[in-house]
Amino acid sequence: MSIGEASKRRVPLSALREGESGTVISILKGPGRGRRHGSARCIMEMGLTPGTKVVMISSAPFHGPVVIDVRGSRLAIGRGIAERIIVEIDEKNG
Amino acid sequence: MDKIIRVALAGNTNVGKSVIFNYLTGLHQHIGNWPGKTVEKAEGTLHFKGYNIDVIDLPGVYSLSPYSLEEQITRNYIVHEKPDVLINVVDASVLERNLYFTLQLMELGRPMIIALNQIDIARKKGIDIDVEKMEKILGIPVIPTIATKGVGIFQLLEKLIDTYRRGATNRGNYIKFRKIIEDRIEKLVNMLESRGFHYPARYAAIKLLEGDEEIENEIKKLDVEIVNVAKKLAGEIEKITGRPCHEVIISERYEAASKIASEVERPVFSTRPKLTDRLHEVTTHRVWGYITMISLLVLIFYSVFSLGGYFSELLNILFYNSLEIFFLKLFESGIIGKLLWGSAEGVIAALTVALPYILPLYFILYLLEDSGYISRVAFLMDTAMHKMGLHGKAFIPLLLGFGCNVPACIGCRILETERERLIAVFVVTLVPCAAETVIILSLVGKYLGFQWALLLYLFNLLIILILGRFAFKILPGEPTALIMEMHEYRVPHLKTVLKQTWFRFYEFIKIAFPLIILGSTLIKAIEAFGLLQPLSIMFSPIIVDWLGLPMITGITLLFGILRKELTVILLSTLFGTTNLIEVPGFGPINMIVFTVVAMFYIPCISTIAALVKEIGWKKALMISLFELLFAIGLGGIIYRVLTLFI
Repeated sequence: MSIGEASKRRVPLSALREGESGTVISILKGPGRGRRHGSARCIMEMGLTPGTKVVMISSAPFHGPVVIDVRGSRLAIGRGIAERIIVEIDEKNG
Repeated sequence: MDKIIRVALAGNTNVGKSVIFNYLTGLHQHIGNWPGKTVEKAEGTLHFKGYNIDVIDLPGVYSLSPYSLEEQITRNYIVHEKPDVLINVVDASVLERNLYFTLQLMELGRPMIIALNQIDIARKKGIDIDVEKMEKILGIPVIPTIATKGVGIFQLLEKLIDTYRRGATNRGNYIKFRKIIEDRIEKLVNMLESRGFHYPARYAAIKLLEGDEEIENEIKKLDVEIVNVAKKLAGEIEKITGRPCHEVIISERYEAASKIASEVERPVFSTRPKLTDRLHEVTTHRVWGYITMISLLVLIFYSVFSLGGYFSELLNILFYNSLEIFFLKLFESGIIGKLLWGSAEGVIAALTVALPYILPLYFILYLLEDSGYISRVAFLMDTAMHKMGLHGKAFIPLLLGFGCNVPACIGCRILETERERLIAVFVVTLVPCAAETVIILSLVGKYLGFQWALLLYLFNLLIILILGRFAFKILPGEPTALIMEMHEYRVPHLKTVLKQTWFRFYEFIKIAFPLIILGSTLIKAIEAFGLLQPLSIMFSPIIVDWLGLPMITGITLLFGILRKELTVILLSTLFGTTNLIEVPGFGPINMIVFTVVAMFYIPCISTIAALVKEIGWKKALMISLFELLFAIGLGGIIYRVLTLFI
């Protein structure tokens, strides 16, 4: 697999289309630092650890938040955070 | 003497904790705030089989790492107060996520039982849970419950007593990590165990590896060496796994939760009428979601305002007609009588706002919250709220603000950081409340036409957006983003909703009433001692010269601090006419200026009290002063601009 192909399949969570699923690869550091609400650590504690499967349920218009299915629960995630969560799009999505 | 058992309820948010709490404690409960914090604290007691059981409902949280006030409170309470038994309320329909928290609670080493709640919703989702297997894997009693129907509550209590009697210590009852971590935990546990640290050694060891700053600082006081060793061990784990140590630990815990969930969950035929899913789709849809929300909000506010307005009027007539005569008869028209009547008027004023507007608004809001709709609204409004550095959840108090700013200020507690709460309460005080809506409608709406009233309303919203953005830009710190679980739609539990409504309402009364009464008396005193005239002359440079308003409006604005609609009511009284447009010097432009000033010039006295309670008197004073200057400045500018064009 060429690098081009690999990078094509890795996208921010916010780029998933409705119904598309992916696997969390990493969470980029956000603004600010330390253990705060919205930090990478906090996001992981909400269940989005690397390796976790996510399914995009819907996204709000005007650059709004997204709703995903993770670990059998529905999470609403602000766009800023969703852009920092890198996922690999699952093969079967084509 | 009865034996006392101290029990704490802990779990994620929206798992039915408060319903269980209500079932357990009934009417014997007390809701207040955690000392020095703005987080709700609910305590209650019950008697069962010769025991006095003290129950505390800890805030709903997702982890025991102190990201938020709620998480700090939950952790500190369990560690420092050491409840005899922990009841972990678990949502059976979202088992994996809930178990992640359960595993953390187990690390704290307190005796524990699990209330496996909402098994009915889980079944509808197609999940049945093998309770015995779950007990075996966790080593903790698990009692299936459907709290909204009271199912399993009795068994829960029996198990509670049983666990207490056996004096179960829950030691060694935890999920093991993989060896490379477990070995290092053990090393730290050995170092910690002899030191008499108030956190359980295993918990402290794990948290040290996770890099929990709060615990690091506490242990540093005890022995810096332990923290250094922990840092070294964490570094080793990072080297072996190639990932940050905290990530490894969080992942492992989730993996364990996932494994347990998959072992105990048995798929059953889903009887779920896809209704809740459809409802979710529609209410979060990019078009239908907003249409639904706006229609619902318009409907709610329209009915509350129209019915409330009618009811409020009725109360006013009732009180004034019956009480005033009685009062004046009793005290004649002496100074004491006047002052007492002032206080009575304060009570009436407060009641005519509280009963018709605030009570129904609270009820509807908590009904919607319990059903799950509010989280959908937060989702839909996230983008708009981001313009002010807030996230979707901040829309909820803002919404309340259209009814009354006081509960709205209190409602800002749901926000995560102090900075956000400060921006939110500031924005909330700018929202046109019921009383301000009355001013807009009965002045500009009545004399200039509805379109002008609407224009002013929109202008107000614009100002909110601008000032909100301004506050967001000048306050240091980063905006936080939305991360929120959206639980399944469910039928709200009426008793819990009513209780919540009542306690919130009671809190409102406690904050607002004393000040309204005091303020009314004070203003009556000013009037009685003939100070109105000198005061209005004193204000005249601002009122007359800068704002171009009749001198007497200064007095009405002074009264308006008590309750804003008084500004309009008094205009008629002081001008001696109900047709205000006839008053010389009070033309359309003056009406607009007056209304704008009345909307913004200062939060009313009850709102100021709520502000003091939520953000302290210094910041409350700053907000009030800012708004006073802003309103006067804006009013003067509008006056000049409008006279230029019209």
